[in-house]
Amino acid sequence: MSGDLAVSVSGLRKRYGEFEALKGIDLEVRRGEVLGFLGPNGAGKTTLIEILEGYRSRSAGAVRVLGVDPAKPTRSWRERIGLVLQECELDPVLTVSETLKLFASFYDRPRPIAEVIRLVGLEGKEGARLARLSGGQRRRADVAVALVGDPDLIFLDEPTTGFDPTARRETWNTIDGLKQLGKTVLLTTHYMDEAQHLADRVAIIRSGEIVADGPPDQIVGASQGRAIVSFRTPADALDGLEAELETRLQPSGAQTSFEAADPQQALLVLTTWADRENVRLDGLEVRRPSLEDAFLELTSSDADAGDDGR
Amino acid sequence: MAGSYGRQVRTQARYALVVNLRTPQSLFFGIAFPIILLLLFNSIFAGAHDANLRFAGLSIAPHAYNTAGMAAYAVMVQTFTSLVITMTSLRESGQLKRLRGTPLVAWTFVTAYILRCVVLVGAVVATLMVLGVVAFDVHLRAAAIGGIVIYAALGTAALAALGIAVTAITPTADVASAVGPFAAVLLAFVSGVFIPVTQLPQGLVDVGDVFPLAHLATGLQRCLADNVSGLGLDATDLLVIAGWMLLGAAIAARTFKWEPQTSRG
Repeated sequence: MSGDLAVSVSGLRKRYGEFEALKGIDLEVRRGEVLGFLGPNGAGKTTLIEILEGYRSRSAGAVRVLGVDPAKPTRSWRERIGLVLQECELDPVLTVSETLKLFASFYDRPRPIAEVIRLVGLEGKEGARLARLSGGQRRRADVAVALVGDPDLIFLDEPTTGFDPTARRETWNTIDGLKQLGKTVLLTTHYMDEAQHLADRVAIIRSGEIVADGPPDQIVGASQGRAIVSFRTPADALDGLEAELETRLQPSGAQTSFEAADPQQALLVLTTWADRENVRLDGLEVRRPSLEDAFLELTSSDADAGDDGR
Repeated sequence: MAGSYGRQVRTQARYALVVNLRTPQSLFFGIAFPIILLLLFNSIFAGAHDANLRFAGLSIAPHAYNTAGMAAYAVMVQTFTSLVITMTSLRESGQLKRLRGTPLVAWTFVTAYILRCVVLVGAVVATLMVLGVVAFDVHLRAAAIGGIVIYAALGTAALAALGIAVTAITPTADVASAVGPFAAVLLAFVSGVFIPVTQLPQGLVDVGDVFPLAHLATGLQRCLADNVSGLGLDATDLLVIAGWMLLGAAIAARTFKWEPQTSRG
């Protein structure tokens, strides 16, 4: 067991009857790293994170979280991890500081309440009942509860699902703060921009398997140098262009796009053809593939790819 | 370590009580309702000069009979009914799951909620007894207070254990909010709380005698009876209540679930 690994997983499988939710996951997370699990709904993200959190049993494989098998959680292990589950699971009639005092009593060495409140930016809301906080504030109270035991490793399960842009930004700032404290953070999300913004490393899960694992730039860079060329001309007005470009056009509504290994050459071919055929290429755009493009490509065989959060 | 457990229990009990006192339904059904019922029953159905009720070898004034019966009902509402609803709601909303993910020691959690029951039962039973003495001429002997404390404590333990045990068959807070109060009202009828046992058909009395509420009511009535001295303890009543306590605790320990029992998408 290497000392600088917060999480190590090998050959992890989880079966529910006939259905295999996790089909052999291998994963390592270094201490101080922020790892984002990205995947469509039903891909196995929550099953995986709940096994790591000690909530669910596994069917096969070896798992170590802070050196302990989470299938046999101990009290001292629980002292070192902090959890934020999918929804806010706190009593709505208690105030922020009452909630924190309650959870602090479970730990031998809790972090001072005032400090936790400052970390999540809830100063001035100490006396407010949870029911009276906004969605973003409640989520930050949730993160505060996860921090009150001063854990080394924090799990965040879909921290901003269903949030408006302001609440998402507030929660992101709080999670950025965790990074600065040197905490190891594992978060699940189905928002690409969230993973790209928060995570040092992204693992994309599809149908119970990790299909890509690396820094966001590297995952995108699997298609490094390539570019996506798009324009708002319907594909049916573009007879003969595919042959000219020697590539497939991808129609999507009023828009048409194609991938170009050599964008400069492709644009020359495209514009020369358009000029000759007298076709207008409205909204012509050339861009590097985003994490979202990589994600869609990697998870394209899934029917339900979730929404992109914008 | 002992200090840390003590702190865990105290903190949890305090906030469990705070939540209860901030929930209007709990305040009304747990505290106001038994007091209002006692005032109504003793004003409508029983006069100060009515003949004593005679049953099970006891002779007790109707006002005292109702005072003790309503105290038993209050114990059930503050323990069984309150815990079925509280535990099922905490489980359904995911709060129990969240607690399970912390270093929380399970027995401190259960102890804290039992402490909450003890405090609330103590307050309501004391209020009802004072009301009986002040407003309805109930004669409360000093020794009988000891008996009342013993019955109320044992009743609290038994009905609290049963309340937690019943959460095994209440999947949602909605179901719990129906089962908890309904069971208390139903048992109160067959246990001679709302209608004196002397006026109930024997068949119903026999049904009521199976359950702990009838024995708790009879026990408290024994404490307030005119022809009883000392603590007023009865072995049969105590044993039946204790039996239900053990059964409830055994079921609760085996079936208690921390995770929501309905999927949330």
